[in-house]
Amino acid sequence: MAKLLDKQRYKCALGAMQTVQAIERALPVLHSGPGCAQKLSDTTGSSGYFSPNIFPCTSINEKDVVFGGAKKLHSTIENALKVVDADLYVVLTGCIPEIVGDDSGEVVSEFAEAEKPVIYAPTAGFKGNNYKGHEQVVDALIDQYLEKSDIKVKGLVNIWADVPYQDLFWLGNIRELEKLIEELGLTPNTIFGFHRGIKNINKIPTAEFNLLVSPWVGLGNMKKMERKLGIPYLHYKTLPIGATETSKFLREVGKFAGVPEEKVEAVIKEHEDYYYYLIERYADLFLENRVINKQFTVVADAQYTLGITKFLVNDLGLIPAKQFVADDTPKNYRESIIEEFKKLNYGIEAEVSFETDGYKIHEEIRNHDYHGYPLVLGGYYEKEVTESLKGNFLNISWPVLDKVVMDDFYVGYTGGIRLIEDMYTVAVSRFN
Amino acid sequence: MSELRQIAIYGKGGIGKSTTTQNLTAGLVEHGKKVMVVGCDPKADSTRLLLGGLAQKTVLDTIREEGEDIALDRIMKEGYGGTRCVESGGPEPGVGCAGRGIITSINMLENLGAYTEDLDYVFYDVLGDVVCGGFAMPIREGKAKEIYIVASGEMMALYAANNISKGISRYARTGGVRLGGIICNSRNVDRELDLLRAFSKELGTKLLYFVPRDNIVQHAEINKKTVIEYKPDSNQAQEYRNLAQAVIENTDFVIPTPMTQERLEEILMEYGMMELADDYKI
Repeated sequence: MAKLLDKQRYKCALGAMQTVQAIERALPVLHSGPGCAQKLSDTTGSSGYFSPNIFPCTSINEKDVVFGGAKKLHSTIENALKVVDADLYVVLTGCIPEIVGDDSGEVVSEFAEAEKPVIYAPTAGFKGNNYKGHEQVVDALIDQYLEKSDIKVKGLVNIWADVPYQDLFWLGNIRELEKLIEELGLTPNTIFGFHRGIKNINKIPTAEFNLLVSPWVGLGNMKKMERKLGIPYLHYKTLPIGATETSKFLREVGKFAGVPEEKVEAVIKEHEDYYYYLIERYADLFLENRVINKQFTVVADAQYTLGITKFLVNDLGLIPAKQFVADDTPKNYRESIIEEFKKLNYGIEAEVSFETDGYKIHEEIRNHDYHGYPLVLGGYYEKEVTESLKGNFLNISWPVLDKVVMDDFYVGYTGGIRLIEDMYTVAVSRFN
Repeated sequence: MSELRQIAIYGKGGIGKSTTTQNLTAGLVEHGKKVMVVGCDPKADSTRLLLGGLAQKTVLDTIREEGEDIALDRIMKEGYGGTRCVESGGPEPGVGCAGRGIITSINMLENLGAYTEDLDYVFYDVLGDVVCGGFAMPIREGKAKEIYIVASGEMMALYAANNISKGISRYARTGGVRLGGIICNSRNVDRELDLLRAFSKELGTKLLYFVPRDNIVQHAEINKKTVIEYKPDSNQAQEYRNLAQAVIENTDFVIPTPMTQERLEEILMEYGMMELADDYKI
């Protein structure tokens, strides 16, 4: 049945352009209408290799629909290779060429002998949203670029987590995950952000294992790499925020990687000591504000809704009202995500709703008794409804319109402290 | 001056839509009618008999090579008896979207003013089945209001005709498009006339005309002519004149009532088709 899209929190699969732009010196080559490209190029900070507004696009029109756009795609790739000095060219197709039946894969394969790698990700909007598009780009790398390696580098771990730019904190998060993994004596390998890029992509096949930190995005990529590249994977569903989850995360990764337990515990102890030192110093602040934020709601993608819910219950002792996952999680993953929301400390279980309709989410928030001022962590869309309920609001998920994030993050012990700072800044500000 | 009648001809691929349309056109021309034939098939063979060969450059080829700023006479040629002939054409086989091509072509014809007031008939000769929205273009947006389906007593021709009727009834719900009848292009199948009558009745329409099979049609085609031009005194030429007369006089336009697969097969059974199919030997 057709449904009204109200306050949708994702883009179409072609939004995977952001994933490409997050790879240093990688260039998206769009095979789409000019409108698609324009609409997708406005995300803050998605400078990519050039700028959000400079990238090759076939800008197809009616003529290309009737006669097919393959020739235009060929010349666009050919000229992109001549004009732009990139390390990796990723052709992304929009709806029109996919419906018309342009054989973009065939066109791209004609560049197999080019000096730089050219790959192709089918990212038609009707295939799904940009979370799926992100997976398509990673799949394209696995299918068309990476080869199985006989050499395995001991302790090398590929880390996969957020969808770049869709998650505002993606850069800081992935850097923090790298640091944590490094402290365990392992060598992290990631492909997104500053000074990573093609040289790290080339290392992927030599890794001992893949570490996926995500409830569902990327799981298909992990399975594909296991099959094609022979790389096993550890799937850690919860984004570790704060001490409880991060310690659990480190223990699980340590166990999977065969890191001695004493080493893992030493790393954890050092972090927890400092973490709880900070918590103790501000215990009065939390106690005073408990009355304000007795119950909370998170509206975000599965990654953040799950990660923050666990943090607020396990670390801060808040009570979950209904939680909303708004990323249109594929149905086959939902059951396992719901189970995660039941694994909270103190026997607490959180009710979770997979809902993409902002109106319905707001109605539920409005009609829930939060036993005090509600605490809502969500997209900018939730600001108005939270304020109308005199609640405390923190913008943590797309769209983010009231803050600039360059490399801030919420992951790990430090990330948990940052989130506490942000939340209680909101709470104390209301009395100023 | 009578009102312009826009007619779309549909039917299974290879059934003889183009042959029937062009011979019918020749019959109408003899009545002094002004006719335009628009071929809506990437093969671009809908006007060959009227033009005396495939001399026509298609609308889409012209757009591809010269852009959209072209004069009408670049894409419309005059054929037998002053008929105006247009071929929509299409992309190369296996690429692009031929359906969208038809939409583009017909929009182009409108923009260039091809639909002049002196026209009595416009025929759209549409490829095979209604495979996608583009091939329904001639019956959308108030163009052809009248449809004839060319069929024969062969099973697959009737399947296709029934399927096309589904498309027509869809557009008939909101638009003014109606089925004018079935034209049988005979294949000399047993009890073909009875079968076609029963089939038409079940569809809620009538068998408009039964065109018998005659090799002279093939001879005329080899000579790149309609039968009326090739052998005006032949029996077959008279058959096409009669068909033209039937179209001129036709006032029965209906919303078809397509049948289920089971019902269609029942009718085929009743007229012996299925049993014959069982005994089929090479």
